[in-house]
Amino acid sequence: MDDHPSTDTPGTLQTRRAFLRTSMLGAAAAWTLPVFIDKTFFTLDALAADRAIQTPTGRDSTILVVLQLAGGNDGLNTVIPFADDAYRRARPTLGFAPDKVLKLNDQLGLNPALGPLHALYDEGHLGIVQGVGYPNPNRSHFRSTEIWQTASDANENRAYGWLGNYFDSCCQGADPTVGVAIGGTSPQAFASKTPTGVCFARPEQYRWVNYEKTNGKMGASEYFFRQLNQPEDVSADIASMFTGGAETTGGGSVEAIGGAVRDGGNPLDFLERTALDAQVSSDRVLAIARKTKPLVKYPGGRLSESLSLVGRMIAGGLPTRVYYVSLGGFDTHQNQLPAHERLMTELGAALGAFAADLKAQGNFERVMTMTFSEFGRRVEQNASGGTDHGAAAPMFVLGGRTKPGLHGKSPSLTQLFQGDLVHTVDFRSVYAGVLEEWLGVPSQPVLGRKFNPLALV
Amino acid sequence: MLNPLPPAKWDRAKAAHLLNRAAFGGTPAQIDAVQKSGLATAVRNLVDGPSQPVAAVPPPWAAPKDLQARRDSVQDIAALSADPGTRKQIEQQFRKDVRREEVGQIRDLGVWWLQRMRTSPDALQEKLTLFWHGHFATSVQKVRDAYYMWQQNATLRRYARGHFGALVKAISRDPAMVIWLDLRDSRDAHPNENFARELMELFTLGEGHYTERDVAAGARAFTGYRLNPRDQTFRYAAREADLGEKEIFGQKGNFAGDAVIDLILQKPECAKFLAKKLWEFFAYQDPEPEIIARLAEVIRLCDYEMRPVLMKVFSSEEFFSERAMRTQIKSPVQWLVQNARIFETDFPPPYVLFFAMRQLGQMLFNPPSVKGWDGGKAWISTSTLLARYNLAGLLVESAGPDLMIGIQKSVRDLGFDPMNDAAPSVRMPDAGPLDVAKIAPAALRAEPEKLVDALVLRLFQAPLVGRSRDAFLEYLRAKAQPANDEAVRGLLHLMMSTPQFQLC
Repeated sequence: MDDHPSTDTPGTLQTRRAFLRTSMLGAAAAWTLPVFIDKTFFTLDALAADRAIQTPTGRDSTILVVLQLAGGNDGLNTVIPFADDAYRRARPTLGFAPDKVLKLNDQLGLNPALGPLHALYDEGHLGIVQGVGYPNPNRSHFRSTEIWQTASDANENRAYGWLGNYFDSCCQGADPTVGVAIGGTSPQAFASKTPTGVCFARPEQYRWVNYEKTNGKMGASEYFFRQLNQPEDVSADIASMFTGGAETTGGGSVEAIGGAVRDGGNPLDFLERTALDAQVSSDRVLAIARKTKPLVKYPGGRLSESLSLVGRMIAGGLPTRVYYVSLGGFDTHQNQLPAHERLMTELGAALGAFAADLKAQGNFERVMTMTFSEFGRRVEQNASGGTDHGAAAPMFVLGGRTKPGLHGKSPSLTQLFQGDLVHTVDFRSVYAGVLEEWLGVPSQPVLGRKFNPLALV
Repeated sequence: MLNPLPPAKWDRAKAAHLLNRAAFGGTPAQIDAVQKSGLATAVRNLVDGPSQPVAAVPPPWAAPKDLQARRDSVQDIAALSADPGTRKQIEQQFRKDVRREEVGQIRDLGVWWLQRMRTSPDALQEKLTLFWHGHFATSVQKVRDAYYMWQQNATLRRYARGHFGALVKAISRDPAMVIWLDLRDSRDAHPNENFARELMELFTLGEGHYTERDVAAGARAFTGYRLNPRDQTFRYAAREADLGEKEIFGQKGNFAGDAVIDLILQKPECAKFLAKKLWEFFAYQDPEPEIIARLAEVIRLCDYEMRPVLMKVFSSEEFFSERAMRTQIKSPVQWLVQNARIFETDFPPPYVLFFAMRQLGQMLFNPPSVKGWDGGKAWISTSTLLARYNLAGLLVESAGPDLMIGIQKSVRDLGFDPMNDAAPSVRMPDAGPLDVAKIAPAALRAEPEKLVDALVLRLFQAPLVGRSRDAFLEYLRAKAQPANDEAVRGLLHLMMSTPQFQLC
């Protein structure tokens, strides 16, 4: 059974199963339980208590927030090489004059709408990685996004995301909320052999609503709903508890755990797994949402809404290591100036509020926020007052313990490849730095090979 | 070539599968009838469609707007007033009205199409139109005009089972597409690459089967594509087109747009690309390379005529394989339309439908990108799965005269304001959407087993055994006997709140 090495897998699975039992029935215990379930719950809990091992939780360890700027953000008008003649030549109407930019040094400045980020830069909490990209850049949104999400080479297709690989290799048996994406769908970066991570947009809606009148007791609907939405092996164990039998499958039995290793290949297995994760996580997310409020006022806009929700979940102690949020609209082929200004304003204001929120919580030191976009844009502006798909671009890295200042080397505006900037930093070096220095895990198993970790902390 | 399914292997489960995939599912009686008709007849009926063309009523606003004429007449009226404040007010009001109209029409559009899918006697035509909508994915977000989107929908439907090349050519002239991929801004001096790139990458060949130079040359060929704003139609402006020599796929010529499409169709990768997309939509995801190669051969032998291709697909053993049957995660649109069809009921009010599309992650006419919807497992996250379960509750739960109030309250609990978000043309129905007595008549309710098995057959198209059936039975037995409407609604909600119900 090469697929299931007996050395460490059984332990992990036991942990997961024990975890499922306690959390599922634990959530059920919040109701006034029918007597027969009540009894069984305590039996189960006692059994589970022996099994649980400590897994890292969001309460005590570092947290990564990944912010995707979807559509290809114009890096040159985000971190602006205002002193470069080549910049002014390439951007006759889109370029920013030196007196408009928020200066970082005598060469570079931030977009005028990024005031809050400029303040964070000045106080030593913002790092800027310059010229990030990868060899043989692809100009398709979808393909390039895929490359960033899976940390692959340009000519290589990978099924799993880099964060998914992290979940698989470093978070086995962890709570499903180890990865949280704000929104309706899971990013490809979360795709993993064992589907992990949950997503939601509004915590109030993140629960199963039924209409049975139950007078505060757990109704038949809720009870059977929970039973129908857990994989067969878990429910078989629970069923045997109900009938008074002891756990029949020995911990090391390969047969007993075979069905529980779900690689998400089969659609039904995948659905069952997601159903269970939804059920387990919804109780907790809702509880946190009810008791926490943001400590600062966020500006309007979807990114602010998402980050404020992340802030509440962090404050409430959801055991999450990676949050994923995104902001779209960066594909500015035409009439770029007003659209990009709006996006920069939203980005700056939302990140500024998020940083203030984390500071007020006392969590700023524990959280690192990293931005990325699938590519930058062409150096030369186009005939429609916009920019076309390009290549290398800067990334922001923000946090209380982030190594501030400029990282890497600013790419040349004259030595271009097909009109695009040539990258000076491979994005996987940034990932390697985040994994090794921030999440504290070896990066090679996650990224598939060795990249020089960029010093970010 | 694909292997034909031996007639001896045709059974009720396969009849249900055919209806699930080539249509939007069927009631138990419809499945029985299709099984009885035999595979050959069933497939012919679906692929040929009804002998009489389907008469469908277009939305009332599906006509050129000629905004300029209206603006002129408003300005004429405004000019009658001597007061500049009044004039400004009249013009502002006009702009506000136009905007409100547009938003209302865009909302109507998706609901209009869902209704057509629910009611059309030519279900395959609607299914194919949905397939092509995902293939040539165009979003109203950028097009910002419901009539243009409606025209594209009509074009996709017209060519749905016709010649693929003719469809691609028609789409290149489709006004919504001309706006969506910036063709109208593309002229000889400044060709815009957007359409040429997506044509090769997403519509015909797939990544890796063309070069950047092919894209650049292709962009020069698709120049001079323009729109007439007054009647909202396509026009070709030869003066702005680049008719010079280009080199594409190693061939030189003074190619225009249609010639580029002809060159693309000659490449074997095109048939393969289409084969994979078709198979993934109708059968299953990540097909074996061998299946793709065999279907691509069928496509080439049929010379890109879709009707015989579909005939072969739906009659093949491979389409009815274990890997295909009951393994497809329903798209949100399939979920909504199939629910209405299996319950033999109308849709809930439009604002609920609109809300549902948004929550479940498939807003018609508003795909997330030009790549369309990824489909399959991408439909399901913890968030969208719970949304399906909760929307199922909206569709079947609550009883009596409180039904609509209950739904409205629930919709509000879910963060939606039915009053503010309802399109102006939306009328609230008087009755609830689900007639429980019709699908669970009193005769069925005497024995829990009979009721559970009948509803399982309707919802899952096949008998269920094991713990799911046991759970449904136990739920029902925990209720007063015989089961009242409330218990039946609760049971239906429970059945729909399962992983299995998300498959077809």
